[in-house]
Amino acid sequence: MRTWSERTEIIALLGIAIVSQAIGNVLLSQGMKSISEVSPIIWSDWIAVLLRIVDTPSIPFGVGFLIIFFVLFATTLSRADLSFVLPAISSEVVVNVACANYFLQETVSATRWLGVVLISVGVVLVVRSSPRTFGIERGPVVAWEEVDR
Amino acid sequence: MITALMIAIIVLADAAADVFLTKGMRQIGEVTSFAPRELLTVALRALSNHHVLASMLFMTLHLTGFLIVLSWADLSFVFPATAMVYVVGTLGAKFILGETISAHRWAGTMLVCLGVGLVAIP
Repeated sequence: MRTWSERTEIIALLGIAIVSQAIGNVLLSQGMKSISEVSPIIWSDWIAVLLRIVDTPSIPFGVGFLIIFFVLFATTLSRADLSFVLPAISSEVVVNVACANYFLQETVSATRWLGVVLISVGVVLVVRSSPRTFGIERGPVVAWEEVDR
Repeated sequence: MITALMIAIIVLADAAADVFLTKGMRQIGEVTSFAPRELLTVALRALSNHHVLASMLFMTLHLTGFLIVLSWADLSFVFPATAMVYVVGTLGAKFILGETISAHRWAGTMLVCLGVGLVAIP
């Protein structure tokens, strides 16, 4: 059982991870679409495809944001249940719909808003449960200088 | 059909990556600070952990499949369609990682899955 402050810290880390993943996915989507709009992608010529991917700025930036997401995701997994972290991360869908509505002025259907409500209730249910039910295999990571002492 | 097959591969690869990563991170130890020295220690331990390396392989498979499918399908369709990972991943957490999934957590996970499915309806 974790203390309240540890739970808050895990939720805060997940919050930053969610925003990073949302930005990363949007950038990746934009990049891949812009590539296939210029000319059709021929996957057998994968070297040319790779060069076009690297040459499209939004793709490396998108990958960068996904790396930030990954570091935060791995960090929380070292301290909390996968079955706690995984549904909590789904808040990203809510962030995507909200962004589409507020920033891109897209019309969001009633069905989608219902989905957003269900996800939010689901995330609240999961987040209210204890973040950790697994046994500790290994305690906190100790950096080299502390080991030397 | 090919889109459905690709999404199934993406979901299974994603869930396998999550389970392996969790197993690896628990062997490495709790990450409690973002000090560069601690992150470096964690990164070096991660790079020599077989579970983390297996996770990266599955993650690469997931990302490659995701990029390929995005070149013809919309993110607004592909991303919600991969929602099954919440249920598959939770099953992996229960049966492989030995986590205790309370009734509240199962209910929450199911609501999340259903909600993501609803968001997917155009």
